[in-house]
Amino acid sequence: MDVRAQLAMVFNLDKCLGCHTCSIACKNIWTDRKGAEYMWWNNVETKPGAGYPKFWEDQRKYRGGWVVKGDKIKLKAFGKLSTLLNIFFQPYMPKLDDYYHPWTYEYAKLYEGIEEEDQPVAEPISLITGKKMEINFGPNWDDDLGGSRLYAERDVNLEEREIIRDFGNIFMFYIPRICNHCLNPACVAACPQRAIYKRGEDGIVLVDQNTCRGWRFCITACPYKKVYYNWNTGKSEKCIFCYPRTETAQANACAHSCVGRIRYVGVILYDAEKVEQALKVKDEELVNAQREVILNPRDEDVVKSARKNGIPDSWIEYAVRSPVYTLVKEYALAFPLHPEYRTMPMTFYIPPLSPLIAIQSMLYDVDDDYLIINKFNKLRVPIRYLASLFSAGNEEIIVEALNKLMALRIYMRAKNIGENSGDVLKKVSLNEKDAEKLYRLFTLASYDERFAIPSAHREYLEERDAEERKGWRGIGVIRGLRGGI
Amino acid sequence: MLDELIFIALPYFAIALAVVVTPYRYISNRLEWSTFSTQFIERKTLFWGSIPWHYGVVILLIGHLIGFLFPSTIQAILSNLSMLLTLESIALTLGLLALIGSFILLMRRALSNLESSIVDYILLFLIFFQAVTGVYIAVFNRWGMEWYLHTAVPWFYSLLTFSPNISYVSALPLVFKLHVIGAFLILAFLPFTKLVHVLFLPIGFVKDPPILYRWVKRGD
Ligand code: HEM
Ligand code: SF4
Ligand code: SF4
Repeated sequence: MDVRAQLAMVFNLDKCLGCHTCSIACKNIWTDRKGAEYMWWNNVETKPGAGYPKFWEDQRKYRGGWVVKGDKIKLKAFGKLSTLLNIFFQPYMPKLDDYYHPWTYEYAKLYEGIEEEDQPVAEPISLITGKKMEINFGPNWDDDLGGSRLYAERDVNLEEREIIRDFGNIFMFYIPRICNHCLNPACVAACPQRAIYKRGEDGIVLVDQNTCRGWRFCITACPYKKVYYNWNTGKSEKCIFCYPRTETAQANACAHSCVGRIRYVGVILYDAEKVEQALKVKDEELVNAQREVILNPRDEDVVKSARKNGIPDSWIEYAVRSPVYTLVKEYALAFPLHPEYRTMPMTFYIPPLSPLIAIQSMLYDVDDDYLIINKFNKLRVPIRYLASLFSAGNEEIIVEALNKLMALRIYMRAKNIGENSGDVLKKVSLNEKDAEKLYRLFTLASYDERFAIPSAHREYLEERDAEERKGWRGIGVIRGLRGGI
Repeated sequence: MLDELIFIALPYFAIALAVVVTPYRYISNRLEWSTFSTQFIERKTLFWGSIPWHYGVVILLIGHLIGFLFPSTIQAILSNLSMLLTLESIALTLGLLALIGSFILLMRRALSNLESSIVDYILLFLIFFQAVTGVYIAVFNRWGMEWYLHTAVPWFYSLLTFSPNISYVSALPLVFKLHVIGAFLILAFLPFTKLVHVLFLPIGFVKDPPILYRWVKRGD
């Protein structure tokens, strides 16, 4: 057993409002710079939809992630030799327009213009060239199913495409995305310069700005398209999990600012030796195999090995009260996004509940089992769609999780109005204590319960120069002109 | 006098710059050490520029280097006429690739709406010029592979041993001198521009395990 610690995040999609507050908090802190205008380290997508960059989930086009070949897992895009052969031009890398062309408006025109009959207008100008431009796509062009025939209908997860035109049964929900700080990060493996690394202590994945030379293999390799190329500094950048905040026990900016309070952050312990094996299983077994990799922090053997590996006691204590462990492993409610990309992501999503589809006969068909979802999918959001996003097609485990969420609602509702909910909890193998615990976590949980983040230990802290540290740790500031001189 | 300038002063100047400035830049400011790729903004034309240019120039540069390092072996190989013909035609093809590639790269800067600095233009003009003189030599001063070994190579050795002897090269035609000037101007520019990307073709990763960890407490 090789026990390591990892900071991880859970998103409760049932509660995401799609307000984009998280994206703005992140943008203001980290990507409000030249060359980073188009970057949204945190972005929120409407599903079904095209996402950002456009149709990033289409790996036939972008070739991200890993595939099983024989008894090995290999990067989908390039082996080592083809990395060298493709170093002069990246065939699968998205271009700026696949994200969007960032713009602002000529606001000065509004008050500098001469007085005339017509109102002055602030025309859009490109943030890259400074020239006037026409806006025809943006980072959230398909928000709330906007342009659904063009975007939502072509969502690669969607099998029942007709549903998009069927306004009685159309569905949507939001999904906020950050870098997943994966256990098997494709971005790290793809970098020929070895500039990207995973921090041993907390698993955060960073691009060393001093080492990066702008070869851009990471951008192709990350199936989530969460490494971005800064056209101004000529280097790759990515979400840094707000390490300056987490090191001082504060929640990430996105998580902290979340209006819906949908986010949970905590430590998990995992067995680094089991990671590779868990990625070689069949697609449908991936989620369960990943859960096996996550270790029980109350287990004595685990604690012993963790101590042997130098994980401080405070981190082990925080792993015990980690909401992430509770939601991902204990109650199996949260799922990785697209586990079939085999990067073993460390952010997890609780799938959203949804109303029943509007078929007259069923609306009044209330029986005891009615509220527990069965395989005959009466939910507005098709189980198959959720399974395609969160379990590589395994519908059973999604149904199990939704059933638990539904049972929890029935139980709490009955309790509130003084009714009896019968054995609804038992049907999903929960007891009343579990229900209270989950209910609290989903509704009342305070800051400290949602974010169980231990501060970095003193022996971890570096005594390096702060400026140098900044570069090493993922954020570079270019001083001279592009290209020197 | 002019020959001394071209064959002694310029090379020493360029080499000195490369040797002193490159490590200085590496140590003091690696944040600007990058290919400054523009593929993200413009990719269609880049494909037709970058790929021919790089496949041409990288292999040709290696060829120049091999001739310099193992002159007698190469001499022996070239004494076979069909071998000489084959190698010359391969080199000419690569030269043409580099020529076309560098022309496309230069025109791309001029015609697309990329943000280009004056340095970008100087650099691209220099490499285009270098490709033109190179191809010209290959076509009009035949069997360059042969005479390179008896002229440029010993001259360059004499430079490196600090006993410069330009009699090897001073009688060569003007276009050869232009090719030498171009080469050392590029070398002189190298440490100041994005051309430094040439110096770190990453190879180490081939033997590494896929996932790289860094542990603060272990100091890496
Ligand atoms: C060691 C092997 C080399 C590698 C791996 C390499 C790689 C690259 C890459 C990735 C780019 C960026 C292309 C883009 O915009 O996306 C580039 C650009 C460039 N390379 Fe190389 N290169 C190598 C050797 C050379 C050599 C030997 C020269 C010339 C002496 C050269 C000259 C250039 C120039 C001038 C550009 C800029 C093109 C432009 O921005 O228009 N490279 N190289
Ligand atoms: S999500 Fe992408 S960028 Fe983040 S660690 Fe995983 S592979 Fe790397
Ligand atoms: S701030 Fe929270 S609720 Fe709002 S979009 Fe982001 S994750 Fe969803």
